[in-house]
Amino acid sequence: MTQTIIWTIAIITGLGIILAVVLYLVAKKFKVEEDPRIDEVEKVMPGANCGGCGFAGCRAFAQSCVEAPNLDNNYCPVGGNEVMKKVAAVLGMEVKEKTPMVAVVRCNGTCANRPKTNEYGGYQSCRVKAQLYTGDTGCAYGCLGCGDCVSVCQFGALSMDPETGLPVVDEEKCTACGACVKACPHNIIELRNKGRRNMRVYVSCVNHDKGGVAKKACKAACIGCGLCAKTCPFGAITVENNVAYIDYEKCRMCKKCVAVCPTGAIHAVNFPVPKVAPEKPAAEKPAVEKPVAEKPAAPAAAPKAPVIDAAMEAKLAAMDPEKAEKVRKALLAKAAKAAEADKPSAAPAKEETPEAAKPAEEKKVEPAAPAAETKKE
Amino acid sequence: MNNTLLVSPAPHHHSSNSTKSLMRDVVIALIPAVFVSVVFYGWKELLVLGVSVASCVALEYLITRFLLKRPSTIGDWSAVITGILLALNLPVSTPWWVVFIGAIVAIGVAKMTFGGIGQNLFNPALVGRVFLLISFPTYMTNWTHPSSIAGAWGFASADAVTGATSLGAVKEGLMTGAGLQDIAAYADFSYLDRLFIGMGGSMGELSAIAILFGFGYLLARKVIRPYITLSILATVVVFSGIFWLVDPSQYTDPLFNILTGGMLLGSVFMATDYVTSPMSSMGGVIFGVGIGIITMLIRYFGAYPEGMSFAILLMNAVVPLINRFCHTKKYGRA
Amino acid sequence: MAQHLGAPATPIVAAGDKVKVGQVIAEPAGFISAFVHSSVSGTVRKIAPRKDLAGREVMHIEIEVEGDEWMEGIDLSDTLVTAIPEDNKAILDKIKANGVVGLGGATFPTHVKLCPPPGKKADCLILNGAECEPYLTSDYRIMLERSKEIIIGAAIMKQVLGGCPAVIGIEENKPEAIRKMNEALAELQAGCKGYDGITVQVLKKKYPQGGEKQLIDAVMKRQVKSMGLPIDVGAVVQNVATSLAVYEAVQKNKPLITNVLTVTGNTLPVDKQHNYLFRIGIPLSYIAEVAGGVPEDAAKIISGGPMMGKAIANLDATTVKGSSSLLYFTREKTERGVESACIRCGKCSEACPMGLEPFLLQKYARNGMFDELEENAVQDCIECGCCLYSCPANIPLLDIIRIAKGDVIKIIRSRAPRK
Repeated sequence: MTQTIIWTIAIITGLGIILAVVLYLVAKKFKVEEDPRIDEVEKVMPGANCGGCGFAGCRAFAQSCVEAPNLDNNYCPVGGNEVMKKVAAVLGMEVKEKTPMVAVVRCNGTCANRPKTNEYGGYQSCRVKAQLYTGDTGCAYGCLGCGDCVSVCQFGALSMDPETGLPVVDEEKCTACGACVKACPHNIIELRNKGRRNMRVYVSCVNHDKGGVAKKACKAACIGCGLCAKTCPFGAITVENNVAYIDYEKCRMCKKCVAVCPTGAIHAVNFPVPKVAPEKPAAEKPAVEKPVAEKPAAPAAAPKAPVIDAAMEAKLAAMDPEKAEKVRKALLAKAAKAAEADKPSAAPAKEETPEAAKPAEEKKVEPAAPAAETKKE
Repeated sequence: MNNTLLVSPAPHHHSSNSTKSLMRDVVIALIPAVFVSVVFYGWKELLVLGVSVASCVALEYLITRFLLKRPSTIGDWSAVITGILLALNLPVSTPWWVVFIGAIVAIGVAKMTFGGIGQNLFNPALVGRVFLLISFPTYMTNWTHPSSIAGAWGFASADAVTGATSLGAVKEGLMTGAGLQDIAAYADFSYLDRLFIGMGGSMGELSAIAILFGFGYLLARKVIRPYITLSILATVVVFSGIFWLVDPSQYTDPLFNILTGGMLLGSVFMATDYVTSPMSSMGGVIFGVGIGIITMLIRYFGAYPEGMSFAILLMNAVVPLINRFCHTKKYGRA
Repeated sequence: MAQHLGAPATPIVAAGDKVKVGQVIAEPAGFISAFVHSSVSGTVRKIAPRKDLAGREVMHIEIEVEGDEWMEGIDLSDTLVTAIPEDNKAILDKIKANGVVGLGGATFPTHVKLCPPPGKKADCLILNGAECEPYLTSDYRIMLERSKEIIIGAAIMKQVLGGCPAVIGIEENKPEAIRKMNEALAELQAGCKGYDGITVQVLKKKYPQGGEKQLIDAVMKRQVKSMGLPIDVGAVVQNVATSLAVYEAVQKNKPLITNVLTVTGNTLPVDKQHNYLFRIGIPLSYIAEVAGGVPEDAAKIISGGPMMGKAIANLDATTVKGSSSLLYFTREKTERGVESACIRCGKCSEACPMGLEPFLLQKYARNGMFDELEENAVQDCIECGCCLYSCPANIPLLDIIRIAKGDVIKIIRSRAPRK
């Protein structure tokens, strides 16, 4: 009995020792020499292997950091400046700070804003759909709604809003790796400056059609009227291909463009309500979002957002009378400007609409009806 | 134009095939075999069949619904097939709770843990059967010979004989050193009988004709291709033929090997299961030859009298490898 | 102006210009490009982008129709011209000048196809009369009614290609067409010179028999290599409708301004299923109107065959040179089933005419495994749709493979110059 136990222990110990020696020798023999700093850099990486930096994964990025003379060309969008600082510390290099970015969906073609013209019945993939045709709405540029961006996002930052049919970015989770930007066949998603306290102003439309056509397809489309560009005191807005674009480097977030936009295509997000903000949730999305949501109910005849809506009225009431008066005046002045600006923009739209409506009849109508050649058997 | 038009990528037509219709065809093909076994084994058979099918379907529903939280897949009939095949692989005297355990293993372990339909590596019904065979050998080898139809249905006195299958009898006999001639003297070896209603065995192993009817139906409906089944049978014939010619007193003849045991049921219904068989015809032939050889090795030299289930399961494990190396012949590539 | 494969043509008329039927309104803008002719007479209203079948903006020339005045030099009579001109160069010029493109679907400019690259010789001209897509009957119709013209066109092309034999492949389910073509052939061979070496071959009825590669395999027993062209194995394939266009261009000097289009579908009563001779460029909505309007229960309208055609979102688009049909289908007939798990039945690879394994390709494609995709010849896919048609689990095999094929071909192309 005792002997059995002793033997068992002896044999197992012996085996253990022999195997340990073998393993040691093998490890020694097949050891691959690598810069130990690569391991160290990799340790501080986020480890998502998302490829947002342009390398095959975190390790490849670490390797390139170690080999590169400086860190100017290497940037981990996921970890941001913090991680880059750590990397720099490990390698004893300097690193330039970059402004954090966030993915922005530049389409507001919700189900209500952009009526469907037909039904898509194929594989639910934006790429497949984009290859087939321009989408199941009148807008050939907007979101296709199959969620390719959602499926490529490794951070769970994107989700489809079932009500609007559009992707929604969770700013907390978004790391600006750019995977969704690459995945979107219509290039709707853009990486934009995260902005101070997450405040951003952007044009939520990429439609290149002329104003009338765009407007017909989607109530929230940018019609390329150029009002915003004229209004912008910093020259941050350019209109190209019938669509406005705000350069986030130049934008100072004065929101003047938001007020003048006749279709509400310019969105300002995360702005606090001026001065007192009694109810927090409402403060998140002020005036701009509201009219957009109301649009579907209101006929297209009212292209402009109401200047002082109910919510604003309430806020004004909450302020002290003097301040409220100032704000009111400022808003009304904006409205007057906007109304003025509205006229020129309405005129071309009128010209275009009949054109867009008719072409079917005008096209090469044949004089002699194409005679039915013969009947099928 | 009244409605919004549907737009989708080509092609715009689809064949009438669906997973459901294919599986339903398999069930239809199983009807003759089920019918024969029910008629000859009676109420007990119905009980085993009912318990097996009901528990397979119920388990699949419960697992998909509550464990995997996915839409249920019972609508595709595959659980029904598993249930029927499991029942046909059991002796009629199996107690209902053993059948139920078999269903748990088949659906719960062999199918759903791998990810449900399309993902399972092994044929669920066979895993269930082999599990029972190893765990409950007494129940699983308690073969009842069908006596008379009236007896089975309770109209006459129950005079069913309990005994071994012909394969079992041969094995036992050879173990004790008897020659085949001696065994044939006390075990009934009539081929004609076996062709129509064989001797005892699993319920589905009764009638070769009934199974062949099913085979014909599956081929006619283009549900399966004949490569796998035919290559199994051909291998068995060649393999056993060689041994039989060498020593007819020790080795059973080819016809005997094809008509006994689970050979036909296995090669027609179990080996041809889509999910667990190779996808190319070339792979199918390799798969079939493998099954044939392993079955005959077990029958001639193994401890078990029957090796079909083991052979199919072993070859199931090789299928990914076969799929990897057997590709279709591509156009324009010599 | 994207009337054909390759570079779109450049318009040479301006708004306000008067044009006649058959007048050149756009010039080729590259080697693989073709002339476009006006199919009507009238005034050019504007040259502007319009949406095509897929809803993308493409340049269109809009012409206000006034009368029906034809260009001089176009022979509008019905007389059959059987004598084949001898000057090959002149023939090619005429084919090019009259804007003839392949009417089998891909609309590849015909004159380019008839000039094999140096070092390669055509061993066989194959006329594609298989029309394997279900529902379509336009080729069948012209084989019945214009059989002689088709054969003359074949003889012309055969001569240009250096006198190789010509085979007219027709599927066995069109006995009437086979009989007619044989009769016409016998008559022409008896009466005139230059028609030797043309035969009619009966093909098995099988989709996609009319696929270029399948047809070459069936007729010549040769297989085109991966990424190769038919001419690599000495084959030139032309559609029967193209042959007719060649006849009209060379013998009648008539540009390609008309084509035959089938209007059918399972929602249309049989007495409304017709083939129409139409002038290229008229809107689809006009054809639909002439053909009796779109049926109430049509849930899908397809331009092209049901296996490879394009579902269209509306009828605003215009017809192009390659338009061959307008199909109406009900929802039940055409809607896809819900995708379920692959049961590894192998039906897709059984169905694939190229011997590919779609189940494998789609798996690789979903995981972005491009090396494996290339190894398994995704680039050879002809997009016939057989895999998706046969899949019992309704897996959108072709949708996924089509995208992957594009990606892989891009990768192969980008690699080619380096080698």
